[in-house]
Amino acid sequence: MPENQNFNPEDGLPISKVRAGKVSKYKIEHFVAPLDETPLQAVDSVKETGKPLSMWAEAWRSLRKQPLFIISAVLILAVIVVAAFPQLFSSQDPTYCALENSNEPGRAGHIMGFNLQGCDIYARVIYGTRASLLVGIFTTLIVVVVGGALGALAGFYGGWIDAILARLGDIFFALPLILGAIIVMQLPAFRDNRSVWTVIVTLAIFGWPQLARITRGAVIEARDADYVKASRALGLSRFHSLVKHVIPNSLAPIIVVATVNLGVYIVAEATLSFLGVGLPPDVMSWGNDISLAQQQLRSNPMMLMWPALFLSVTVLSFIMLGDAVRDALDPKARKGA
Amino acid sequence: MTETATPKPLLEIKDLAITFSTPDGPVHAVRDANFTVMPGETVAIVGESGSGKSTSALAAIGLLAGNGAVSSGQILFDGEDIAHASEKRFVELRGNHIGMVPQDPMSNLNPVWKIGFQVKETLKANGLAGDNPKERVAQILADAGLPNPEVRAGQYPHEFSGGMRQRALIAIGLACRPRLLIADEPTSALDVTVQQQILDHLDTMTSELGTAVLLITHDLGLAAERAEKVVVMYKGRVVEYGPALDILRNPQHPYTKRLISSAPSLSAQRGDKHEAIVDEIVPGKVEPLLKVKNLTKIYDIRKGFGKKEKFTAVDNVSFEILKGTTTAVVGESGSGKSTIAQMVLNLLDKTEGEIVFDGEQIGNLSEKNLFKYRRRVQPIFQDPYGSLDPMFSIYRTIEEPLRIHGIGNAASRQKKVKELLEQVSMPASTMHRFPNELSGGQRQRIAIARALALQPEMIVCDEAVSALDVLVQAQVLELLDELQREMGLTYLFITHDLAVVRQIADNVCVMEHGKIVEQGTADEIFDAPKSEYTRNLLGAIPGASLI
Amino acid sequence: MLSFMLKRIAQLIPVFIGATLLVYFLVFATPGNPIDALSGGKPMSDATRSALEAQYNLDKPFWVQYGLYLKNLVTFDLGTSFSGQEVSALLGRAFPVTARLAILALLIEGVFGVIFGVIAGMRKGKWFDSTILVASLIVIAVPTFVLGFVLQFVIGVKLEWVKPTVSGAATWGELFLPALVLGLVSLAYVVRLTRTSVIENKSADFVRTATAKGLSRNRVVSVHILRNSLIPVVTFLGADLGSLMGGAIVTEGIFNVPGVGHLLYQAIQKGETPTVVAIVGVLVIIFVVANLIVDMLYALLDPRIRYA
Repeated sequence: MPENQNFNPEDGLPISKVRAGKVSKYKIEHFVAPLDETPLQAVDSVKETGKPLSMWAEAWRSLRKQPLFIISAVLILAVIVVAAFPQLFSSQDPTYCALENSNEPGRAGHIMGFNLQGCDIYARVIYGTRASLLVGIFTTLIVVVVGGALGALAGFYGGWIDAILARLGDIFFALPLILGAIIVMQLPAFRDNRSVWTVIVTLAIFGWPQLARITRGAVIEARDADYVKASRALGLSRFHSLVKHVIPNSLAPIIVVATVNLGVYIVAEATLSFLGVGLPPDVMSWGNDISLAQQQLRSNPMMLMWPALFLSVTVLSFIMLGDAVRDALDPKARKGA
Repeated sequence: MTETATPKPLLEIKDLAITFSTPDGPVHAVRDANFTVMPGETVAIVGESGSGKSTSALAAIGLLAGNGAVSSGQILFDGEDIAHASEKRFVELRGNHIGMVPQDPMSNLNPVWKIGFQVKETLKANGLAGDNPKERVAQILADAGLPNPEVRAGQYPHEFSGGMRQRALIAIGLACRPRLLIADEPTSALDVTVQQQILDHLDTMTSELGTAVLLITHDLGLAAERAEKVVVMYKGRVVEYGPALDILRNPQHPYTKRLISSAPSLSAQRGDKHEAIVDEIVPGKVEPLLKVKNLTKIYDIRKGFGKKEKFTAVDNVSFEILKGTTTAVVGESGSGKSTIAQMVLNLLDKTEGEIVFDGEQIGNLSEKNLFKYRRRVQPIFQDPYGSLDPMFSIYRTIEEPLRIHGIGNAASRQKKVKELLEQVSMPASTMHRFPNELSGGQRQRIAIARALALQPEMIVCDEAVSALDVLVQAQVLELLDELQREMGLTYLFITHDLAVVRQIADNVCVMEHGKIVEQGTADEIFDAPKSEYTRNLLGAIPGASLI
Repeated sequence: MLSFMLKRIAQLIPVFIGATLLVYFLVFATPGNPIDALSGGKPMSDATRSALEAQYNLDKPFWVQYGLYLKNLVTFDLGTSFSGQEVSALLGRAFPVTARLAILALLIEGVFGVIFGVIAGMRKGKWFDSTILVASLIVIAVPTFVLGFVLQFVIGVKLEWVKPTVSGAATWGELFLPALVLGLVSLAYVVRLTRTSVIENKSADFVRTATAKGLSRNRVVSVHILRNSLIPVVTFLGADLGSLMGGAIVTEGIFNVPGVGHLLYQAIQKGETPTVVAIVGVLVIIFVVANLIVDMLYALLDPRIRYA
């Protein structure tokens, strides 16, 4: 008898070796479900009904049902139209200021009243949209192009490029956006040529490392996917596999972060203008108006509230849009991938 | 051996229905399920993914996902209906009455707590820590077969191998001596030899403690070997249950029959082997299509502060593949089998040795010749979710190789894509769809179509069917076989599953730790294995001695 | 653990050198002469100019200038301001104020951020969660200085609960409102981060296993969900110290807090470039050291890091 044979302590009979299968000491019924209740289906049948949906189409379908997305998209569209055609929304000339109107409250035709110089607040808020939006959009564009390209190269090729960019990113992270921007805006070259563009360049200088980091992470994830390996084995060159497969699959997090950051850059511009190192005073912008209003805060708080409200709602729209897009593109919500 | 008086069942599932509420409406995961577990008995629930096997078991321990609930029926544990029991009642039951061993050892231990802590809190929660919890924890870990339990208790999960983690999870599941243990695919993430050891140990422990086990598995061979009773589930319903060996040898329901005929572990034993196509070619007379000679891959592993360690992933490997045949490279995780595939595909540089394809050295090919080589050798990868670009439609996916190699114009390419889809038995309408709309098996068929687009001579299948359910796996293997017959393809088939090998391979190389320990024809390997390692691998195929 | 620490220190040294070099380069090597800025645009004699150049080492090659700057920074010899005061003395007075402000702000965002985030995460989709989500978005969207003015106006001026500005002593009590304003935006980020992290861990396999062991709900939450969810939050708090230093410039301006931000802002306004560079250098050191501490904390919370 083999050594590893066990005995049942109750009846002393040998228990059959595990690997030979087990027989119960209880009686077990053999049940078979009626076939008409449990019909066999084809193995792995292909769904042929329904419209084919790409990942983007699927995201779009879930997006357009989200109230958060609808509200923010409508608001952003409105802001863009206002920035492009301010004259459609205000019949007043924002640069026409009469001192006799100084700090006057709102009245017909001038619903928000006047500021210290007697300019119409509503007209200034409407005309100030353009500068804020320009800063947000162009800073985001530069950051996405520069940060995205560097991050993608670092993530895809790795090695020394990656090491250098990682250290460079760390260095920029040690200098917070506002602090760094103040220093740059104080440089003679910038201080003497203040314009929308100096603000954009300054914010982009300190904004790209964050986007580079996010792109790098997304690219590394996509780079190691089997479909990239497969495309290389099909004969696609390394660079083409980056452009055709890796980058399109890394776009989702970049789009989300860029959208949210667009709002953040608008806030940063306002903060710099508030500190007196942002846009030049002659450029009409929400940040400049808020900065001007702070001296009259106690006597005429609405002068600060209106531009601040417009700015906050605009920024909120971009952040909400980013949030909605993130939910729609969430890989966990998607099947597979 | 059969008692006439039937005692009270420990767990009784009666007309159970479980429904998940989803944004697309309710999903009925389980319907009209009935089965019982007697005290001390092992019952296996067998089914494919989505059959409702795990859902049924999780309902018995109150761990259904948030959107799932028992919609009708009863779950009687020791006579008490717990289908709708309160969270408080479940906290009392879990651990010391009903224990659980989960599926994936990598994600089921909290990475930030020591193993000993995670065992100890189980004891404490159930009031069983005693006066010397440390000693008790060590004892429990030792019982689960972990050597040096005192040291092991002080380590973190990431310091454990997969098999050791699973032992720790078994220790936790059995720490409070539950009367029922739910084991949810406890070994499907592990290598076969480790799986065998762990299941043997689990068997010994539960029979010593008299614990009843509800074993959930996709492998009918394993179920039949480890359980007294087998419950077969299909699309949320119990289609058949009965004594394990009876189910295996005398299946009644057509689904069970289909499952048994498709399971590689069982068919391998039956001798459903691959029939050679090119038996007229005598080795030696014909020049092989692929010749791998003394192939070696050494990695430098950085150990911090400039220290480096050499790791030999592939160690002096040689084999040949004749045109129109299939050679399988079999090994457990870490054996270096996938590294060979990557070097043959020229996706990874070799350290030493030669790879000769059709008389030409691979590795120092010029850019232009490499491009030509790519056309002749195509891969199919393991993960059906990862191998297709989610952004590309099926049409673009299959067309991509044609486009890269500048074959045909738009119209002829479209015709070709349709032909290829037909070859892999997919409707032509699929080409407008996207990978996320297809199942795993369907994606793998698309990957095959893509590989065939350039009419290659050799296809490298890197674990191409490992992630698929048995029925789908059988279907894809059959497709590969058909294509080989039609087109005279040559396959290099990389797999961890020796059972699959018999269905597809003419020749087999068995690898361990980067070296080939045995090679020969499939018949030689299966009928007269020479090395101890191959014998262990063969012996570990579940259900080995049952048919 | 020790080798992990040494590795991190080795990584932070180039960050410190790089960041100070960047600032120094920006300020002293870009077009436009800083000496002109020093004089406020007024004409000055060549003698004064060369004396000033010598005082700030501008007559020496760039690398020598930078080397001297680093040496002065490390030995805490920060030079004198235009009004003739030692920069190190000015900083010595301002620094404790800002340290109190930053600690309060970090405490507020850490404590409330984690508490709100955990509650929101555990009750995903309920009213508390939705409210917190909307509130956090609004806080992020409204610029800090607007928030500061509004809170100062409402709580300080209208309700008179606290003094709207801070006295020279800058006590903990006086600093609460400025700290709240300073920490509010980060608080919103911490809430959102904690919430996401809790939701993720809540459905982790190991949490299900912990529940299956028979652990009570409270224990599962505190031992298994909370600790794991804190790991990314701690990392965020460390990196956030940088944005707090930037934010301090704004907040200290609004509430008239005599801190480092205020000092820095005044120096920038007066064009005292050497003082600016000196203060920024000190801030970079603080940031780098704080990050080192966070790394250690991170390693303490997550054992996998120690061996990576």
